[in-house]
Amino acid sequence: MELHPDFADTQQKQKQHFHVLAVDDSLIERKLLERLLTESSCKVTCVDSGDKALEYLSLLDSQEIEYSTDLSSSPPSAQQEAGYMKVNLIMTDYSMPGMSGYDLLKRVKMQGSSWKDIPVVVMSSENVPSRISMCMEEGAEEFLLKPLQLSDLKKLQPHLLKSLVHPTEDISTSNDHGSDNNMMHDITTLNDSDNVLVSERKVMSPEPLERRPKINGLLVV
Amino acid sequence: MDGVAQLQKQLVDYTASLFQEGFLDEQFNQLQQLQDESNPDFVVEVVSLFFEDSERLLNELAKALELKTIDFRKVDAHVHQFKGSSSSIGAQRVQKVCIAFRNYCEEQNIEGCLKCLQQVKHEYSLVKSKLETLFKIEKQLIAAGGSIPT
Repeated sequence: MELHPDFADTQQKQKQHFHVLAVDDSLIERKLLERLLTESSCKVTCVDSGDKALEYLSLLDSQEIEYSTDLSSSPPSAQQEAGYMKVNLIMTDYSMPGMSGYDLLKRVKMQGSSWKDIPVVVMSSENVPSRISMCMEEGAEEFLLKPLQLSDLKKLQPHLLKSLVHPTEDISTSNDHGSDNNMMHDITTLNDSDNVLVSERKVMSPEPLERRPKINGLLVV
Repeated sequence: MDGVAQLQKQLVDYTASLFQEGFLDEQFNQLQQLQDESNPDFVVEVVSLFFEDSERLLNELAKALELKTIDFRKVDAHVHQFKGSSSSIGAQRVQKVCIAFRNYCEEQNIEGCLKCLQQVKHEYSLVKSKLETLFKIEKQLIAAGGSIPT
């Protein structure tokens, strides 16, 4: 199958998987979400609360600082690793005890937040229009109704690609009106036939867990 | 019909009946679609988690409804969880009872809640035994050298 040259080039250069941070207090939901995401060729980190999500994001920030100071003298693999750690998308349940998904969304999108540009998708089993508009107004990219299906993951492609694309390229954030951007068109075509984000990624072996930062009890699947 | 073909037919027919009788819905299909060679036990794993979680929730619900002063918000929170997990695996009849259950919680209707607790326990034990039967047939099929039809 044909890949748009720019996209293939991006993949070659960055050699990273989309890293999704999944936040849900339900173990069953986390398991389901993790499977859906890995089926769509994403790397997943699951946490069971908004607090743990923030902890994880802070941890990544401090690790990237560590990496970037040695980046010039580091082997390419370390540079790739630093890129690999970065979270490309946050998917959070709305109703959680303690910090809700909405609270988490607000915190991530807050003025001055270093995570402001990370797309956030909110999920809920309840279809409450006021809740949906509240989240969209606060900066959520999408609001998905549970239970999630593979077809829902397709909606997330444009948001994931945003974080991989070179700064000079302009990606339309709203895909609903059809896109003039060639890259988006090619990705959609690819996906329609294969139902995965990038099918050749499936043959790659999963990254060893050691590469990902761990806090005791933080990685909950 | 040879052994494998017979078991395959049994599996297909049994699964179809579960859908027809409303025990399972489309979401269960979604789970099956997520099962493949690299995740061969996905459905059993998720369903096992559901069984564990459900038993915990049913215990919590029974305790919460035995109290002299019932905290309906707490009861509702448990039912909300149960509704979510049953919906995620496609346990349609359990999910439906949960919806009615939540309405009674909102009304603070003790009798309604107790009735729903009995109903949800009943529906849960039905779907549990049906799924266990389903998994048993699958195991037999695989042991006979067959594969689960997609």
